[in-house]
Amino acid sequence: MGVLIVSLTALRMEARAQTPSSTETRPTPGDALVVGSIGDASRLLPILTTDSASGDIVSLVFNGLVKYDERLAVVGDLAESWHVASDGLTITFVLRRGVRWHDGQPFGAEDVRFTYEKLIDPNVKTPYSSSYELIESVDVLDEATVRVRYREPFAPALESWMMGIMPKHLLGQEDLNTTRYLRQPIGTGPYRFVRWKTGELINLEVNPDYFEHRPYLDRYLYRIIPDQATLFLELITGGVDLSGLSPLQYERQTKTAYFERHYQRFRYPSFGFTYIGYNLNDVRFHDQRVRQAINLAIDKRAILDGILFSLGSVATGPYPKESWAYDPSVVPQPRDLDQARALLAQAGWEDHDGDGWLDRDGAPFRFTLMTNQGNEVRRQVAELIQQQLKEVGIDVRIKVIEWSTFVHEFIDTRRFDAVLLGWSLSRDPDLYDLFHSSKTREGEYNFVGYRNPEVDQLLWAGRRTFLQHERQAIYRRVHRLLYEDQPYTFLFVPDALPVVHRRFRNVRPTPIGIMDNLIEWYVPAPEQRYHRMAR
Amino acid sequence: MTSYVVRRLVSLVPVLLWITILSFGIIHLAPGKPTDLAMQFNPRVSLEARERLTRLYGLDQPLHRQYLDWLHRVIRLDFGRSFLDDRPVIEKILERLPVTVMINLLSLGLVLVIAIPLGVLAAVRPHSLFDRATTVVVFLGYSMPSFWLALLLMAAFSVTLRWFPVSGLLSLAFAHVEFWDLIQHPLTHLAAWQDVAWHLVLPVTVTAFVSLAGLSRYTRSSMIEVLKQDYIRTARAKGLSERHVLFKHGLRNGLLPILTILGLSLPDLIGGSVISETIFSVPGMGRLFYEAVMARDYPVVMALVTIGSIFTMLGNFLADLAYAYADPRIRLSRETSP
Repeated sequence: MGVLIVSLTALRMEARAQTPSSTETRPTPGDALVVGSIGDASRLLPILTTDSASGDIVSLVFNGLVKYDERLAVVGDLAESWHVASDGLTITFVLRRGVRWHDGQPFGAEDVRFTYEKLIDPNVKTPYSSSYELIESVDVLDEATVRVRYREPFAPALESWMMGIMPKHLLGQEDLNTTRYLRQPIGTGPYRFVRWKTGELINLEVNPDYFEHRPYLDRYLYRIIPDQATLFLELITGGVDLSGLSPLQYERQTKTAYFERHYQRFRYPSFGFTYIGYNLNDVRFHDQRVRQAINLAIDKRAILDGILFSLGSVATGPYPKESWAYDPSVVPQPRDLDQARALLAQAGWEDHDGDGWLDRDGAPFRFTLMTNQGNEVRRQVAELIQQQLKEVGIDVRIKVIEWSTFVHEFIDTRRFDAVLLGWSLSRDPDLYDLFHSSKTREGEYNFVGYRNPEVDQLLWAGRRTFLQHERQAIYRRVHRLLYEDQPYTFLFVPDALPVVHRRFRNVRPTPIGIMDNLIEWYVPAPEQRYHRMAR
Repeated sequence: MTSYVVRRLVSLVPVLLWITILSFGIIHLAPGKPTDLAMQFNPRVSLEARERLTRLYGLDQPLHRQYLDWLHRVIRLDFGRSFLDDRPVIEKILERLPVTVMINLLSLGLVLVIAIPLGVLAAVRPHSLFDRATTVVVFLGYSMPSFWLALLLMAAFSVTLRWFPVSGLLSLAFAHVEFWDLIQHPLTHLAAWQDVAWHLVLPVTVTAFVSLAGLSRYTRSSMIEVLKQDYIRTARAKGLSERHVLFKHGLRNGLLPILTILGLSLPDLIGGSVISETIFSVPGMGRLFYEAVMARDYPVVMALVTIGSIFTMLGNFLADLAYAYADPRIRLSRETSP
């Protein structure tokens, strides 16, 4: 009997979904968005979240002072406006009035200062303190005005104020490391926390008093489905409304008539890139000609087309094309094996013994390319690179290692030849931590050992000015220099491939993603699926 | 008898201690630290921040100091807090235990109900078509990768036929129901229990199918041994019906080894298969352990290893006791010997 009821309900829902939608001009409230996630969240307080699942939930329950809009411009969130002093040392935020926490209490400047105090508190297990340590003071001028004074001008500061603001009246007396509010967050955001069933589901309901406007979707349900294959099956049976697709799924498994009728696929460049990082202290890679030669020998287009089904673009530097820091005059060089061989010969690498491999002083050019376990795409990319470099006579060995081991035993100790990895970056183009020559201590991110005094100077200067046009000139030059120096061989920027059930309206891809306007999404009444869910 | 029990229990303590020392050493031998997963290669996290966190977690202390701190707390049944989310380890274990135990009990029940008759029937007619056919089927189940079987069943029954839900424990209609509520107030949640039942059919089937081989083959060989015995021949010679011979004399002796197996499967009750839990999105103990190891969540790993060891030794011990009780030969010989 239960089975009969289940299938009848499914049929009824199916029928609704297929109702042709008339042109909707007025959004209707109701329905729920069911999102699938591979991992569970761990901590739901903004300053303590480190995994993406926690980040997803926190981004809906909390607000920062500012945020990015769909054109990647910084706009106000909890702050109505802000003013950067001419010396770049002070930012004054004017906060919105009338904003309330989910428990009804008013939000104010005290909450901002409280959040800052916890960010720099040595006893709080927050990993984000470094962006706030340059702050000299945070002063509450009145309940809607906050003045932040920095010890030196720090342009990425604005982005750091996208950190979710926490309620002082609830957390003031709590130990943030163990408080129950880690699992029952109270914020100012468009959705309120309802329930967290560990390992299964996080349930959020609409905040009807949200300061922008009441979001149309009544519920946001975050289902934890750890297996990629299961997630896909849930998607096609309607158990999940939104999910990310792998290139294979996008290209080969979602072009059926059923899928087209019920789902909308999107594609936009993600903010990150995949690269080969060379150990620049290794005598072989120390020579710039060798790195440039390898760059010329690798066919990035083939990698993109063959492994990612062309769902991405070739990278020439650390910025995607959408970033204002991207220098469009830096053009990727096409594959040129002759030029590559010529450069390698200049560096002393030739096939002296005729065995098909390049050699120098009797030793063949052989190196190990390491990458992390669990990333199928990366493994395939490594194999393709191995094959491509074989054509110039370089012998590449591949090693796939579990993540923690990889970082500790090989990267931190600098015991590697070359690594195949990716960076997922924030929108601010500051790359000080990645490429400045001072960031080469164990555990820091310039693990390749890159040292270019001009780049050092540019990175330092780029942080200290707030003038957009000045920063743009600086970072475009950094882009060009990095491409010429090749501390990394920049491979590609993959596309993000989300898919959403068609019943949701107002969904569109932007450089920042598809979820930025979630409060505008709605489902026309006849197509709504989830009604009046219990708390 | 009581002094025997007491002596046995006491002798378990040093073994347990050694197990914890070894496990502690091994998990710390693995390269990597708990702060890695989240904080390595995150450009927003500086080296100083990571060092500060290492200190806050007590990871900068010498190893033996860390172990003694842990032991000190465990003796008072305080398993500490998870490094992943700072929740008490006991809480994390208790919220996952019921589901795992339920799946394992159901699966065990299914296996017993199928495997034992299968084994007995095969033993009664060895090398027959029935025997050979069942051998093939159970070995198929044994050799099949469980994730493959899980996905096949899911694709067939959940996606194509829509008989069962794809994954999870409860439908969204019951999103507000917590699993502990279901257990504490079963009668008020009958609809939810039905929902759970539908969700568990496939996971239990997969778990059971792969374990059929072991028990059925063991039963079969044990029964074959028993049926060759002299007392069976005597019983037949006395003119007893084959059914009487089998059920009254054969089974009682043949099934004794099953007790041992059951005792040794006690720790399996609390262990989950991370593979089928992952595929079916069941929040069980298998995933808890696997995720804890990958994230180097030492408190959780140590708690699970300790509890698992206790269960193993207890299961072993109970199996011995049960065997001694059930088999008069052992019981009597023990009583007469000094």
